[in-house]
Amino acid sequence: MRKTPAVFVVLALGGIALVGLPLVGLLTRAPWSRVWDAVSDPMALDALRLSAVVSIGATAIAVVLGVPLAWVLSRTSFPGRSAVRAIVVLPLVMPPVVGGIGLLAALGRRGVLGARLDALGVSIPFTTLAAVIAAAFVSFPLLVLAVEAGLSSIDQRLERAALAMGGPPWYVLRRLTLPLIAPQLAAGTVLTWARALGEFGATITFAGNLRGVTQTLPLAVFEQGQTDPGGAVVVSLLLVALSLAVLIAMRGRFLPSATAGR
Amino acid sequence: MRRLLAISVIATLVGGCTGDDAGCEFEPTLTVLAAASLTEAFGRIGERFEVAGPCVHVRFSFGPSDGLATQILEGSPADVFASASPTWMDVVVEDGPGIQDRVDFARNSLVVITPADDTTTVRSLDDLANVGAKLVLAAEGVPAGDYAREILANAGITDGALANVVSNEEDVKGVVQKILLGEADAGIVYRTDVTEGVRSQVRTVEIPEDVNVIATYPIAVIASTENLDQAGAFVDFVLGDGQEILRSFGFLPAS
Repeated sequence: MRKTPAVFVVLALGGIALVGLPLVGLLTRAPWSRVWDAVSDPMALDALRLSAVVSIGATAIAVVLGVPLAWVLSRTSFPGRSAVRAIVVLPLVMPPVVGGIGLLAALGRRGVLGARLDALGVSIPFTTLAAVIAAAFVSFPLLVLAVEAGLSSIDQRLERAALAMGGPPWYVLRRLTLPLIAPQLAAGTVLTWARALGEFGATITFAGNLRGVTQTLPLAVFEQGQTDPGGAVVVSLLLVALSLAVLIAMRGRFLPSATAGR
Repeated sequence: MRRLLAISVIATLVGGCTGDDAGCEFEPTLTVLAAASLTEAFGRIGERFEVAGPCVHVRFSFGPSDGLATQILEGSPADVFASASPTWMDVVVEDGPGIQDRVDFARNSLVVITPADDTTTVRSLDDLANVGAKLVLAAEGVPAGDYAREILANAGITDGALANVVSNEEDVKGVVQKILLGEADAGIVYRTDVTEGVRSQVRTVEIPEDVNVIATYPIAVIASTENLDQAGAFVDFVLGDGQEILRSFGFLPAS
């Protein structure tokens, strides 16, 4: 075992404190005597159910659209490829509220595409679909980046050899490429889901806040936090526990862990 | 006038006090938490107050009154609280650091706003219960949201109208935004939210007087303030010169 520089230990502890302290804060603030009431509150249950639907729906969209996009970005060459990659990553750095306004400008009643949909009697804002789209928008880059990294890391000679031996491209993709990138795909999927689960800004802007329709857990926490901070803390912990459970379950298997990196 | 402007610009540039008594030894920052509906009026009042004299810099935090009250209970450093409803001032009194110099400083009525184009069928308060009308309100607990629900109850259209609600916004400005963007057919907001910038983009539908609610706005100095004199001076300014500014933004006198 290598000796760790003391300054690294101190800074690392600071890093742990940065992300760990708020969690400790939540734990100290939670009204433990009425945890059950807060968790079984109909508003919280509605939000939990909706969050499950929205986060899984958003992840599904991200995987279906993101894997092919990552493949195109990694395996083909075309003019403007780096521009496309930059645009795909944009939601990661853009304030989600701005993303929400952009979604309204595109898919809202007066939006570029939304006005045409509206003429057909289709209206997206304020629907559960809008919440799914908002969550997919903000989390999509995580999936694409993870899968593209996976595709870049595998030895392309394997693919070429398989193709040269007469494997149909679709077969090679399904039996060779996808199994090779499975860890990155799984990691990307989990991170995408976790980001979708926590999404707030784009959702409240594009989908609004209506219980049972668009009020996901983060929106419920926000609304409840204005009047009942204790209850909001319990619901927040529910959200944290949920994400933590999935991240821990995935640890070692797909996410980088102590052994996987070597 | 131009010279005065030049002087104040220079004074601002060098970061000093913008008043006549240029020799401010230090300039404390006064933190005023104010209801979202006060955004424009208090912004103007703050500018005038800083120019008017006392060596003080005012910064505002605008938001839903319930959220601001919660922030004060959580120990957010606040010197003055201006609420859109007595309820949330009471909460600060009962559960928070306490207040002093509480006084009602303005009142406000509510109106229905709709997008200016003809995309909506809402032409009267009762139309909010029309099938298919998309209604946006401030969330419950937010004063504007509670007043709106009170109005719907007064008009006897609670069930029909609440069934049309597509979003409960975090504060009243969120309602204005959804109407400005044309995404919803109608919202209930304060008359003062229909500001000069908003007026041309929305249609205002009056709420009959017998069902309308008049909101009373209390202001107070938070007892835990470290700038007691300046906070008191700000409240006095709101009650004095501030009244004319509030009037110009459509607020009603407190009594």
